[in-house]
Formats: sequence, structure tokens, C-alpha cells
Amino acid sequence: MRGWDGLVSSALLGTDRRPPTFDDLPPAVREQLSDEAGLLDAAALATLYKRAGRLPLRGIEPLPVAEGEDRPLPRPNAIRRLTAMVAGFQTAALGEWLRVAEAKGWGIPPEHLPALADYARGRAEYRPLVIAAAGRRAAWLAELNPEWRFLHEAVSDDPELWTHGNSLQRRAWFRRLRERDPAAALEALREVWPTESAATRLEFLGALKAGLSGADEEFLESALDDRSKDVRRLAADLLARIEGSQYGVRMAERVAAHLTESQGVLAVTLPQRVTKAMERDGIDPQAHPGLGRRAWWLKQLVAAAPLPAPDVLQLPVEGVAAEVLQAAWAEAAVREQNAEWARALLRSDASTDGRTSELLRVLPEEEWPAALEHLRTTTDLSELVGGLPVPWPVPLAVLVLDLLSKAGTARSWARLASIAARAVPPEALHHPITREPTGEEDTWRLRLVETLNFRREMYEELS
Amino acid sequence: MGPWDEEQVLALAPDPASAKAGQAQARVTKWSGAGSSEHALWGYCQGSGKQPYQTTVDLSGPAFRCSCPSRKFPCKHALGLMLLWAAGGLPTADEPEWVDKWLAERSTRAERAAERAEKKPGEVADPLAAQARASRRADRVSAGMAELEAWLDDQVRRGLSGFEQRGYEELSRLAARMVDAQAPGVAGAVRRAAGVVGRGHGWPGELLEELALIHLTVSAHSRLAELPPSMADTVQTRIGWTVETARVQADGEKVEDDWLVLGRVVEPDDRLTVRRLWLRGATTGRLALILAFAPGGRRLDPLPARPGELLPAVLSFYPGALPLRALLTQTAPRLPGSRPAGLTARQALASYVDSLSADPWNERWPLVLQDVRPARNGANWALVDAAGDALELLPVDPWKLLAVSAGGPLTVAGEWNRAGFRPMTVWDGDRAVIL
Repeated sequence: MRGWDGLVSSALLGTDRRPPTFDDLPPAVREQLSDEAGLLDAAALATLYKRAGRLPLRGIEPLPVAEGEDRPLPRPNAIRRLTAMVAGFQTAALGEWLRVAEAKGWGIPPEHLPALADYARGRAEYRPLVIAAAGRRAAWLAELNPEWRFLHEAVSDDPELWTHGNSLQRRAWFRRLRERDPAAALEALREVWPTESAATRLEFLGALKAGLSGADEEFLESALDDRSKDVRRLAADLLARIEGSQYGVRMAERVAAHLTESQGVLAVTLPQRVTKAMERDGIDPQAHPGLGRRAWWLKQLVAAAPLPAPDVLQLPVEGVAAEVLQAAWAEAAVREQNAEWARALLRSDASTDGRTSELLRVLPEEEWPAALEHLRTTTDLSELVGGLPVPWPVPLAVLVLDLLSKAGTARSWARLASIAARAVPPEALHHPITREPTGEEDTWRLRLVETLNFRREMYEELS
Repeated sequence: MGPWDEEQVLALAPDPASAKAGQAQARVTKWSGAGSSEHALWGYCQGSGKQPYQTTVDLSGPAFRCSCPSRKFPCKHALGLMLLWAAGGLPTADEPEWVDKWLAERSTRAERAAERAEKKPGEVADPLAAQARASRRADRVSAGMAELEAWLDDQVRRGLSGFEQRGYEELSRLAARMVDAQAPGVAGAVRRAAGVVGRGHGWPGELLEELALIHLTVSAHSRLAELPPSMADTVQTRIGWTVETARVQADGEKVEDDWLVLGRVVEPDDRLTVRRLWLRGATTGRLALILAFAPGGRRLDPLPARPGELLPAVLSFYPGALPLRALLTQTAPRLPGSRPAGLTARQALASYVDSLSADPWNERWPLVLQDVRPARNGANWALVDAAGDALELLPVDPWKLLAVSAGGPLTVAGEWNRAGFRPMTVWDGDRAVIL
């Protein structure tokens, strides 16, 4: 404003030294000043003149619009539950809420997205859910807030992302392409392979696990000669997963040289050394704690080779402890997802080297309850079911809840109860345990029933 | 009064643990013989003991009673009962006798207290003494104003340079003198001026603005008798004379309308938390401000209605040239509201100028902006209207607002001051979102 600076410098130096002049002030201000007006009178008028004359900012470009449609919002009580979870109440059920809402076609109120994005920032497993919930806003918010860059995974078709994107974008882009067109994904990886760092090579090689086939064999064979040991190991592991691969043939030949079946006995001769060719195929020549060196080499060979028919499990073993072979077969059974082997291993109480839960998972889910009844005499139930995918099938959920229902409040059941609280499928949330008295005290039983009820109400609201 | 919502109920919880425990009690299966009437909620809650707890909530308070041994107040049972009610989980019924009895006891107590309170403003025990007190205070204020004017003249004559060193201390001392002179409003203005000193390179100009407006108060006070009565009231309020609420309720201008709750701003403070609730009359278009205070650590009263809702009510306005502050005198159950009409950036600034021409000291002004889109403005944010005119946002967390907009045009209600716009409520379609 004209004349204002003159008033300020007069006020700074003092009117004794620099008497104020009002001639520079706008006429509208001057008109209002009487002859006796002092500096502060003029400044008061000028201040209001300035404040009243304030103009809007110009030349500011609004943000782009996030294109797309919004889904309808669920009922208010469902939104209230979401609000409570975002605020920290029963937050463990948040992922489930988002999954159900997504499946039912509900959107979420956009004002919750910032809190959800912050929540998912440190919890990778929530990211796809938050991305889905954010819909058209995901990439838009990622563009605005560097802390939410992970929301970018929502859009990943642009090939520019593969060559110029950040690591999150590249990973998402690659995974998507591999799902749609495995051969094209392999080609894309081949092109950048020589220039990527070992860590990146390892990461994208791992992404080949999805859609793995004979078409990948040649590339993986070449990766067995990679500079990085971790990449070589991973390539060997992937080759072992390709049915009929040359790698499998090589391993089967090696195993055949050390295992011979004659007269109902499985005779084992341990390898004398690890050849260069074996090492190239991922066999670790270093000693392994808890096992003789040569037994360790044998175990690796058997574990990496294609599985024989499971009858071999019945044979007495000579030349090495039977447990070594059993553990190797267990490893192979998990890799091949071989239900026949898994069943045989679990029934025979074979040594599984800590893979019992993984083997259980290989079985068709209708066999889980019976298998658990058998296994729980020797293994902690919570350990067994803890590794199973959720939600559980109904019969398994009923089996576990029936057990818990009869268990009183003994501490030893707490872990199983906390697993079950989250793993019980929606169809089993009405189990009678939810109607039994829990008492007021904070026990696993109270928490279990509260969580089951909370989840049941959640499903009802989102239906 | 209609049911509250969950947020309002949870705001009553004495601590987060109680809120959580209350939510656990908010289940139909926990309660027997539970019900609600216009005045109260009640029910029996089975706890760990043999006897169920007897819980009652008097909605006029709200006040709580529960037979449980908890020392928390309200206890989790009372909270649970209210949450259940908020979720529509309580059947309507007549109050059972035990509830009725307690309500009657409470209302008798309340009436007695009101009788005692009413004596204060209306029937002054000794009107002569009261008059003498008022005139003593007027003398002290006048003396304070004279002292202030002399100080201001002196500073301007000698110059403000060097204030970076001595200014803050001198102004703080002066503010204390104004408190002694029973002019707390002016004391606040002087403290604000103290806060400007040395801040940024433009501080001399800002300080001059603050001092000039203090000078304006002082000179207005010197000719109080010549001013129009409403302007005289504004000046008195500015100086720090307060009007008793009973007098406002009795004599204040009454405006009846369906008041749209534009939004609220809470300024938490160790000593005194202040909440400003802004209303706009659906028919009259009048703007109103309802203030609520809570001393440090205490909770604010629950909101009479949520932002975006309509509150049919009679308001009593405090006197002044720009009557904004009001009291709720009479209310009816609140109603759902829809997205309000708003202004462009230019219209919004013009409305603020109108407010300045009525009250040159006005600092805060409620605005509803229409069709504005978010934009970056340097390190901060702005809202741009359809004509490309923009208002800057105060540096508050913008993310909820941004997420709701997705870049599209919004209706936003907020509070305008010279530093920028503070958004309070944004409408997502007809749904009001509290920021």
C-alpha cells in the first residue's frame, strides 16, 4: 500500500526525528484524517484500509482431478466401526473389514484414507487393501505425499515404470506382468538383468516363482553361474520346482547313485565329496551343525531331487539315520506340494525337521481336522494351526472352538485362542462359545468371545 | 434431545481405557431391563458380582449413577449404556420407578441450585454497593487507558527501533499493568503485540498494525459517550468488560432459526481450552459464535449438534456492533442438514470487509466456500475457486481435506483470519466431514 512504508520508518526512527508525512497515503485514507491526527491515527486507518483491500491470490493451479468412480458407502454403523478401528479399537480386525468391504463392493469414506495410509506405511500386508480401498485416490495421494508412495502400486501398466520407476513401482509392474504374461515378464527381466545389482536380481528372480514353467528353465540354468551366491541358490531352488527340468534329471541321477533298494531295504552310500557340478547346482559343501558332513550332502541331494513314490518311506534304511531321509523328503514334499507324500509323512510320524505345519498345509483342507486329531498328541496345537491359511474351513474352526469351549480359562490355551479369534471363518462366528458366560476378568476367553462377536457384528453390518 | 452419536458419548470417557471398556459393554446381550425415555437411560448390567449393576443416565446433564464400585466417572457401564443408545440399541419405554425417583431427586436439587444462582445477576443484594463497584472499576479502566495512551505516544515519539531487545519485556509488563487496571481485553491485545516483536523481517510493520489498533481502542474509549450504543458495547467488550450470561439470556437480541452448524475449532491449552462453534441461520443467514471453555485438563461440554446438522434453536446475542457471540437459549431436537450454499473467494473476502466496517477489530470470520479446489501454494496449500481466485490455508494438517476432494470442487466451511483460512468442515456430497 502506498505510504505505509513511510509510516513504518517514521515509527521506527521516532516522530521526533522523522515527523510522519501523510501525503503519500491513498486519498481515501487522507480524507478521514483530521489536522491533529498523529502517526497512530493514520496507521490505524491505513491498517484497516490494507486489510479491507486484501485480494485473493491469483495464478495458483489447482491439483489435477483423480479420474474414476467412487463406490457407494456402507451403512453408518459399519462406518462407525471403521472409525473406531482406525482410532485404535480392535484394530487387528481392520484388514478383515477392508477385505470384506472390498468384496462386497463398498467404498470407504475418503477422510479415513490418510490414517489408513499411515497405518499401512509400516505394514506391507495392509498395502494392497488400502490401495483397493483408496480406489481412484490411491495414485493421486501417492503423488502428493512422498510418505505414501507405496500407494502407487495401484497403477503399474506403464512400461516406463519398469525402466524409470522406483523399486516399489518396478516390483508391482513386474508382478502384474508376470501374472498376465509370464513369457513377456521373463523377457523384460532378461533385458535389464546384466545391469541390475545383486539385491535387485535376487528380488526379481524370486518374483518368477509365480507362473514358473519350463519356459524359464534356460534362463534359470544360466543364473546358476551368477556372480552372487544368493542368486545361484535361488535359481537352483526354482529349477527344482520345474517338473521334468534338466536340473531335476541331474539330481535324480545323483540320488540314484547313493540310494539303492534291494530285498526290501533301502541301502545308502554317503557321497564322498561335492563336485564342481554339484556345487553349481546349489549343493552347499560347508559343514552343517547337527549333521555329519556327508549326511548333510546327501540330505541336500535328496531334498532337491524329484520325489520317488511314497512307498519308499516304509522301507528300513541302512547307511544313514532314517530321519535324514525323512526330513529331506519332507522338504521336497513341501516344495512339490505333494499331498500324497505329506499324508504319508504325517501318518508315519516321520521326522519332518520342523515342517509339520507346512506339510499339514499341503493336505487338502478337508483332511485337516482328522490330521490334527492325530498330530496334537505329539505337537502343540497352536503351532500346527498357526501356519494354516485363514480363514479356516468351518470343520476346523468348529473343532478348535469346541476344544476351547471345554478348556475353562487355563493359561496354556491362550495362544490357540488368540489365533482362533482371527482365523475362524464368518460362518462359524455364531459358535456356542460366544454365548457362554466369560466373566468380567480379562482372560483369553473374554478376549476370544469379544473378538468373535466384534467380527460377527462387522460381517452383519457389511452384508 | 435426539440420541447422541458415538463420538459425543466417547468424549465423556474419563480416559481412553474407559472408552474401550465402555465399548465392550455396549452390547444388547450384556443388559437386561434396559430402556430409554426422553429424559433418561437405564438398565441392569451383569458384571462379575452376583447382583447385576443398576445403571442410570440422566440425559439433561448428562449425569450418571451406577451401583458398580468403579471410581471412574462416568463408569464403563454408563458409557456402554449410552453407546448402546447412540447405536439405536435401547427400546423406548416409561421410566421404571427407581429411575423416576432418582430423576426427581436430581431435578429438585437442580432447581434449588438454580434459585441460588439466579439471585446473583438479577437481584443484587445491595444495588448501591454494586454501582459503587462498577464506577470504581470504570475509574481504574480510565486510568489504565490514559497510562496506555501515554506509553504509546512516548514509544512513537522515541521510535520502535531497538524493540527487538526491550520490546517483549516492556509490552509484557504493560500487559500486566492492564490486567491490574481491569482491562483484560486490552491486556490480551498488548500481549499479542509482544508476540510480533522480532518475528520475521516484516515485524516493525506488523507491530505498528497491532499498536495502531490498540490506539484505536484507547481513543474510542475516550469518546465512549459519543459512540452509537452498539459500537460502545463493542469497545467495552474489546477492553474486557464482560456481560453476564444471565443478562444476555434475558435482554440479548433473540433470533430463532434452524441453525446450521458450520464447524468448530478447538484450541487446546494447558490452562484453558477454548472451543468456537460457528452457526449460520438457515432462514436468516445470521452468523453466530458459541464459545465453550474448559479449564486445563477438564473436558468441554458435548457439542449441541454435529457440524453439518441443523439445530432448531433460539439464540441470545451478546450486544455489539457486529453481534456474533451468542448463547443457546432454547433448543429443539437437531435435524440432518445438507450441503450448504457458499461463496466465491472474492465474495468471501468482501463479507469479511463488511464485518470490518462494523467492527474494525474483528479478527475471525466464518466462511463457507463453494466450488473450491485444493492447490499447492509454496510449502503450504490454498483453495482455488472456479474463477481462479484463491485463499491460502493456514498450515494445518490438510490430508483429510485433500483426500475428500480427490482434486475435485468442494464446499468447505472454515474460519478466516489474516494469516489464512482454517478449514473446519468439508462436504462430501451431502455428508459433512469434520476436519
